[in-house]
Amino acid sequence: MIATNIRRLAVYLLLAFAATSGGLSWWQVVDASTLAARQDNPEVIAARRSALRGTIFDANGQVLASSQVIDGISRRTYTDAAFSHIIGYASLRFGTTGVERAWDDLLTGRSDPNPLRDLVNDILARQPPPTDLTLTIDRRLQDYAAAQLGTDVGVVVALDPRSGAILAMTSTPTFDPTPISGDPATAAGPMEQIGAQPNNPLVDRARQGRYTPGSIMKVLTASAALDSGAMTPETTFPDQPREETEGFVVEGFRVLEHDLSPVTPALWPFSPALQVSSNIFFAHVGVELGSERFLDYAKRFGFCEPLVIGPSDRGLSVSPSYVTAVAEDGGCAPFADTAEVAQAAFGQGRVNVTPVQMALLAATVANDGITPAPYVVRDVRAHADDPAAGPSERVLTTYRAEGSRRAIGSGAAAQVRAAMVDAVHGELGRLYAGAGDVTRYGVSGVSTAGKTGTAERGPDLPPHSWYIGFVPAQAGGTPAIAVAVIVEGGGSGSGRAAPIGGAVMAEWLKILAAG
Amino acid sequence: MLLPLVLLVPLGFVVTHIAQTGEAGTGPMGLAIVYLLLMLGAHAVLVAAGHRGDPLLLPLVATIGAIGLIMLNRLAPDLEETAAFGLDFTVAETQLLWFAVGVGAMLGVALGFRNDGLLRHYKYTWAIAGALLLVVTFLFGREVNGARLWIYLGPIGFQPGEFLKIVLVVFIAAYLAEKRTLLRDASARIGPIRIPPLPYLLPMLAIFVIVMLVVIFGKDLGTALLFFGIFLTMLFVATGRRSYVLIGLLLFLAGSFVAYRLFDHVARRVDAWIDPFADPSGVGYQTVQSLYAFGRGGLFGEGLGQGLLPTAGGRFFGVETDFIFAVTAEELGLIGAFALLALAVALIFRGLRVAMLARDDFSAMLAVGLTTSLGLQTLIIVAGVLKLIPLTGITFPFVSYGGSSLLASFLVVGLLLSISHRSALAAEREARPT
Repeated sequence: MIATNIRRLAVYLLLAFAATSGGLSWWQVVDASTLAARQDNPEVIAARRSALRGTIFDANGQVLASSQVIDGISRRTYTDAAFSHIIGYASLRFGTTGVERAWDDLLTGRSDPNPLRDLVNDILARQPPPTDLTLTIDRRLQDYAAAQLGTDVGVVVALDPRSGAILAMTSTPTFDPTPISGDPATAAGPMEQIGAQPNNPLVDRARQGRYTPGSIMKVLTASAALDSGAMTPETTFPDQPREETEGFVVEGFRVLEHDLSPVTPALWPFSPALQVSSNIFFAHVGVELGSERFLDYAKRFGFCEPLVIGPSDRGLSVSPSYVTAVAEDGGCAPFADTAEVAQAAFGQGRVNVTPVQMALLAATVANDGITPAPYVVRDVRAHADDPAAGPSERVLTTYRAEGSRRAIGSGAAAQVRAAMVDAVHGELGRLYAGAGDVTRYGVSGVSTAGKTGTAERGPDLPPHSWYIGFVPAQAGGTPAIAVAVIVEGGGSGSGRAAPIGGAVMAEWLKILAAG
Repeated sequence: MLLPLVLLVPLGFVVTHIAQTGEAGTGPMGLAIVYLLLMLGAHAVLVAAGHRGDPLLLPLVATIGAIGLIMLNRLAPDLEETAAFGLDFTVAETQLLWFAVGVGAMLGVALGFRNDGLLRHYKYTWAIAGALLLVVTFLFGREVNGARLWIYLGPIGFQPGEFLKIVLVVFIAAYLAEKRTLLRDASARIGPIRIPPLPYLLPMLAIFVIVMLVVIFGKDLGTALLFFGIFLTMLFVATGRRSYVLIGLLLFLAGSFVAYRLFDHVARRVDAWIDPFADPSGVGYQTVQSLYAFGRGGLFGEGLGQGLLPTAGGRFFGVETDFIFAVTAEELGLIGAFALLALAVALIFRGLRVAMLARDDFSAMLAVGLTTSLGLQTLIIVAGVLKLIPLTGITFPFVSYGGSSLLASFLVVGLLLSISHRSALAAEREARPT
């Protein structure tokens, strides 16, 4: 009897050791690469100190960040402050951010893009060489966008609506990451200086900035209403002309129109309502759509959860955008009442968005209703010994958009697109978003789709100036670029953001035409 | 069986020396030679004395101990030296000294213990002595790293818990062996639930109380878990009832939950276990650094002397004791760690074989308890550093640095040798026609 029990005990103990061995294998092999990428891992710190770091190139092979080992300490030089937020910094003292952080293991050569070679390196205890990265961003467009923002505080995000490739992404004010990425002994001073400047230059406003969108949100409201059938392009609201002056009362809350002059209110269907940006019309649309459908469509566009500039396994995170209050789990809470839906429909109330999310909204309309998955690193290459001579020809990994998903049908997308073209070129729209028309910036024969936004922040603060748009937008044209522009406290959308958006898109068309 | 060892230890020392100094050389080869002579000598003594005990136990222990010694020699430059008798000793040297003491004690028990009456008949005396030891530890013990484990007699400190473990096994073995035949089928019922009969229930509760006292006053979770685990395992072997183990485990979980709510030091350990990455530089520091070490090791390891855990952590402590398995896995890789675990499993299986071949219930129960104490202790510390269970301060038998642990573990092996020797003699007597 005891013998039988001992035999059983032996089996149980063996099982316990087997489970332990399973745990051992998990940490040593399966999860090892995740552990190896963590910032506070002593291996990461030690490797970074002396290891040569890979070069980061722009889309045309221009050097944006490169390293040299001087006196046993790896020093990094950044050539263009317009890239400081997206590339980030690799500091021995302050850790890494941006692309430097997400691709840290490849840049330092701690792991190899090829899993098989990774294993061989591990067996031979061989330190693989660092690898270089090429971004999807063209430095010419990035610098142009940064120059357009000038000394204003704001963001330009531009992407290819079909591929999801980021074409420009810059945030002002910016900073010089070179001094904080050099000798750790002298890095503290420059970091303190950056921190002491107004408007916190370290914040990447494109990904982390959250703003009230104002009227650019009407593009989302219209997309949802047209796609769900809550509205057609011909729908009108009989009380709307009267309410333009008296206000539209929803559950005791009075929705008021912005200053429409010199336009005289009339019974407007969708296109003219978008051209003059009628708050009353879109409040009605929001009420027709209802709180559940509104929330559902917002989520389809990517709201209510963090976005990732891919690939998903080593992406750059983008703060979530919200249409309602923030729920306990970090998602969107339900709408409190219909009055809140009515306000959200024209981009006020509790709506809170990132510039990246708004660029994706424009890109979705441009891309027949499919939201492209954004990405910013085009490929990983073998390390080039002389970065100035351009990147290596040996491409190890190429990235492309993964996980693009349909937000609305192509029919609804075409209707929204037509109205956005009217908003720039139409008789009424020209008065507001005409400054976003690329033909004003030296490009001809192209229609622009756009929408301005003037985000009210309260009685004593100047509104944020917004613009989203894409070109070419004429029927049958294939959009090449979609943008979102915000200038903090920049006043009306037509005054500040629309000219920047139009100029940036025109510049890209010129770059493309020049080949 | 000891022959591979002759290669293993010097090789380990040479590799470490080359890795740490970058020069060809042998390192402290004297240590390796003394260790080999010690183990070969012990083997020779057993053979010469005509000892019939299990022939694999000593080689297995010697191999596991050799890996431990190689690791301690590798760690020696990174750790403070201990001073005694006016001389400075590295951790490896100190450990070797304790190996000598341990092997001596093992031989003494293996050869000198001809009769188990001393253990069997004075079980209550042993139990009382053990309880006194526990109380003395609580009252006069010194707290180290948050747990009250140490008693100092003048300059020499020792951990009573290590020896208490053996006393506990002896007592439970004697108690269960005596009651087993009487109680095989007895059981009590409360409604539909069958509960263990009182003679099982009472000691179960008594040991549960002792264990909880260890947790509360000794702040020593590892020892508490080990004690209770040993008891439940022996109860299972004696009765064959899984339900008793289940009830015991539930009791333990309930007790642990209460302790988690009531005591800070328990709550800290559990929080650090659930999500060490939530506070990687605070309560989670040790666990996180240890997991990093496993990750760095990978399949084949960084190589002896190449690991970062002993130095890169900065304020990381316990590389020579609780975390020696993490250091081993980092430097020798999954392959080396598996080898170490496989050796431990082999040792346990030999121990259980001794129990199977034992001629009487007491010897069998004693062998089971002793083997389980080694097995569970290994499991608890390995699973702890792997974050499979909350991390508790406890040593890896024969590998971790520590005199009390080493001496106690060698006593366990000595007892196993003695049991297997007697059963082998008895088997021969039966086989011989009279």
